[in-house]
Amino acid sequence: MLFLSPFFLWGLLAASAPVVIHLINKRRHKTLQWAAMQFLLKATRESRGKRKLRNILILTCRALAIAALVAAAAKPIVSGMMGWGGGSIDTVVLLLDRSASMELRAGDGLKSRRELILEKVSGAMSSLGDPRLVLIDSASMEPQEVPSPDVLGQISATSATDTAADFPAMLNRAAEFLAGSTGRSEIWLASDLQASNWKPNDERWIAAQASLSAMAKTPSVRVLSLSGSTASNTSVRLEQIRRSGDELVLQLELMRSGAARGTTTVPLTTNANGVKTTENISLPGQSITLQKRIALPAGLESGYGWVSVPADGNLRDNVAFFAFGPARSRESLVVSEVGESADYLELSAAPTGMENLQTSVVSPAQAVNSIAPNIAAILWAAPLPNGRTAESLEQYIRSGGHVMFFPNGKKTTSPFMDFSWSGPQESPKGQFFILKDWSRVDGLMRDGVDGTSIAGKKLLAIRRQMPVGDLTPMARWEDGEPMMTRRIIDRGTAWMVGSIPDYKWSNLGDGDILLPAVQRVIAQGADRFDRSYLTPVGSESSMVTRLESWSRVDTYEDAMPVKSLHKSGVYESGGQVLALNRPADEDSIEVLTRDELNLALNDTSYTLFDQAGKADEGSLSKDVWRAFIIAVLLFFLAEALLCLPKKSRFDAMPARAGA
Amino acid sequence: MKHDFIDNELLSRLGSLPIESRVPMMGNVAGKHRSPHRGSSVEFAEYRKYVAGDDTRRLDWKVYARSDRFYIKEFEADTNLRAYFVVDASGSMNFSGEGESKISYARKIAASLAYLLVNQGDAAGLSVCTDKLHLEVPPSRRAAHLERFFTTLGQVEPSGETGLIDALHTIAEKIGQRAFVVILSDFFTDSAELSDALQHLRYRKHDVAAFHLMDPQEIGFEFDRPHRFVDLEDGTALVAEPNLIAEEYKEALHEFLTTTKAKCHDAAADYQLVTTDTPLEPLLREFLTARLPKSKH
Repeated sequence: MLFLSPFFLWGLLAASAPVVIHLINKRRHKTLQWAAMQFLLKATRESRGKRKLRNILILTCRALAIAALVAAAAKPIVSGMMGWGGGSIDTVVLLLDRSASMELRAGDGLKSRRELILEKVSGAMSSLGDPRLVLIDSASMEPQEVPSPDVLGQISATSATDTAADFPAMLNRAAEFLAGSTGRSEIWLASDLQASNWKPNDERWIAAQASLSAMAKTPSVRVLSLSGSTASNTSVRLEQIRRSGDELVLQLELMRSGAARGTTTVPLTTNANGVKTTENISLPGQSITLQKRIALPAGLESGYGWVSVPADGNLRDNVAFFAFGPARSRESLVVSEVGESADYLELSAAPTGMENLQTSVVSPAQAVNSIAPNIAAILWAAPLPNGRTAESLEQYIRSGGHVMFFPNGKKTTSPFMDFSWSGPQESPKGQFFILKDWSRVDGLMRDGVDGTSIAGKKLLAIRRQMPVGDLTPMARWEDGEPMMTRRIIDRGTAWMVGSIPDYKWSNLGDGDILLPAVQRVIAQGADRFDRSYLTPVGSESSMVTRLESWSRVDTYEDAMPVKSLHKSGVYESGGQVLALNRPADEDSIEVLTRDELNLALNDTSYTLFDQAGKADEGSLSKDVWRAFIIAVLLFFLAEALLCLPKKSRFDAMPARAGA
Repeated sequence: MKHDFIDNELLSRLGSLPIESRVPMMGNVAGKHRSPHRGSSVEFAEYRKYVAGDDTRRLDWKVYARSDRFYIKEFEADTNLRAYFVVDASGSMNFSGEGESKISYARKIAASLAYLLVNQGDAAGLSVCTDKLHLEVPPSRRAAHLERFFTTLGQVEPSGETGLIDALHTIAEKIGQRAFVVILSDFFTDSAELSDALQHLRYRKHDVAAFHLMDPQEIGFEFDRPHRFVDLEDGTALVAEPNLIAEEYKEALHEFLTTTKAKCHDAAADYQLVTTDTPLEPLLREFLTARLPKSKH
């Protein structure tokens, strides 16, 4: 049995109180001169056995009631192996969530969830007679034997990281490890039940469950959750970084913990190449997205820095590191036959006065030679490609490029990848195709950072073609047909716009939609160049920092930064800088629901113990303490029944003889 | 009177009630009680045939004149009553729960009845008994004798174990004539021995009345905390938690009371179970009324 609040167990001393009170009470008797002694002696003689037993039962009930109450207060958790299910355990495999979200403190002044869970596990192991403990932590994923539960909190394999956790992979790893074992074993999944770490719909769960079921002795699965109330917390995350000449544009997201209400002010500190500035950011509600512009010294090739908020409930999400390289022009490519639409697209891609934007117009026949990895985006106003051109374009998209397709007035005969254009449609005479709605939070027609929306209603079209294929509509015409669609293909994106900037088609060339959409697609395409300086901790690209040539250069945590494979920071090697940040999913507040947990661990007959009992659903928790409360009531009931005075059969005096 | 166990008002109210014997008495002087012998009172009893040796003065000549047969005319003989009050003075009689002690209550009963008896011309005697002491005041009809009776009664100091059984046997043997024996005790003694003593009295044709005195606390046995009970007779001590043994105590007490009552009934004794909180007047009025012959009710 494991107690989550073991200090309450000192209260077990109170269980002796009934016995002590009884003994004291026995000593403070009153002396009485008594006449009917013979009956007293007889009564004492006759009731000695029964009375003693009854007395002992009453005192036992009282002591047990107090003990049960104390045990309930100590929040017991129990598993079939640990508690009254009985049996000894040979091996416990602990799957420890070391993700950044586990560093959230359970409350102001309390320890982090990771530290708490390690304490609990350590205590539980002692109560189990110290079976073999094998740790599989979410960062390294390597099984390693822990010599003693007492050192669990001190070894580096259980320390805090900025990584994410992958529980289906961890369970598979545990199943692999236990495949050859013969003794009784348990798998303990210690986590905060963050949905992004569990991936309940992942097919690897099925594989892991199958592996466990195939074992001679199926191990029991225990989920030790530490979700529930937490200390107040504010996190900062870098969504996007873009260098524009001598200016660095950071798109940041500030988030507050779910319980926070009202507007608060968060001091946001920026440290760019050693220059530190702090400004107060007003944070209304739960989150805010903001752009932070940093002026860079002229001629600065590359650099790094970080933005941070003050220390709070989770120390791991208070900083976002960034690194940047030299400014580079944003090149785009317009693939179109010469004409009005080509002119408009060229103008939208590189407006006059925007020197850092460059575009070139090529015919479809020349496109194959012009598609290059350094092009931020391609505007394709031509028949969908085929042959070598199609291969080249597909490769461009898959490697991260953005392509915006426009119709050419003809129905597609051979689709590109698996999408195509429908036949052209003309609007009824005197009428226009008008946009009905579009996504205002995502896509090329989203609202601006300052909340300004795109003037989509100004678009009037007399001719259109509909994108066909497995595409996500981002804007629709009034009749529900898609006007703009999106398809994410590997790291790149294909956009399809249902009209062209040509007076025979629409007024798209006016710029209300075309200009921001084209600029955004180029910006997103160019992000991948700046993003090469950023990578999440634990990703494949972050693994290069394990090489000895890489060293950590930021001084956020310490003046003498320590290189760690699992921690965020800025690393440098031979003039190249790389900023490692915690994965974006770690900031997600979505918690696994009971249904999702059932889905993930369906065949394992798992047991869930939730410290807070508020893991999204109250019913998630294993209310072992309730059993103790019921025991308290039962003991008190038994005590009351034993104390009930018997209805005497001899209350009435015998009738008087003479009466 | 200067004795605090005498209630003059009570006695004056009870004065109109005679104390009747349930069996014929054999007294020395004429009184108001029936005698087993035929006497010369005014109350006709019966005719019987003359047998040789009869006193010829008692022949009814008028009957002889009518029937030419000799008949003797017999009359009821009235005599006086001699009462013995046997008061148990063992230590247990000194018990007083929250009110009056048993000995005090016994004094009141004995004194009141003795006064009424002397007042109606009967004799009252007293026997106070413990295991070591047997005080006795012989019965007398004289009013002045009452003072001695009361003084002796007032001087009784209960102590030691009971000597009731011996006292009853002694009285049964010593009193030659039939008498009214009133026993005032808690009967905390062996019930078989008590039965023998009562049967002894019955064999001697005494009219026995038994007042079984109990304290309400002894009957109810209600305490809220452990007590150390010290025996009033031999000083034995016992620590007990009354709540836990009340049931067994009451069972034993009930058995004792039932047995004592049965033994008294077997010995034709008039049994009265009395708690010391019972008002005296209704108790004595009920006792005296119950003893009246049915014709006088």
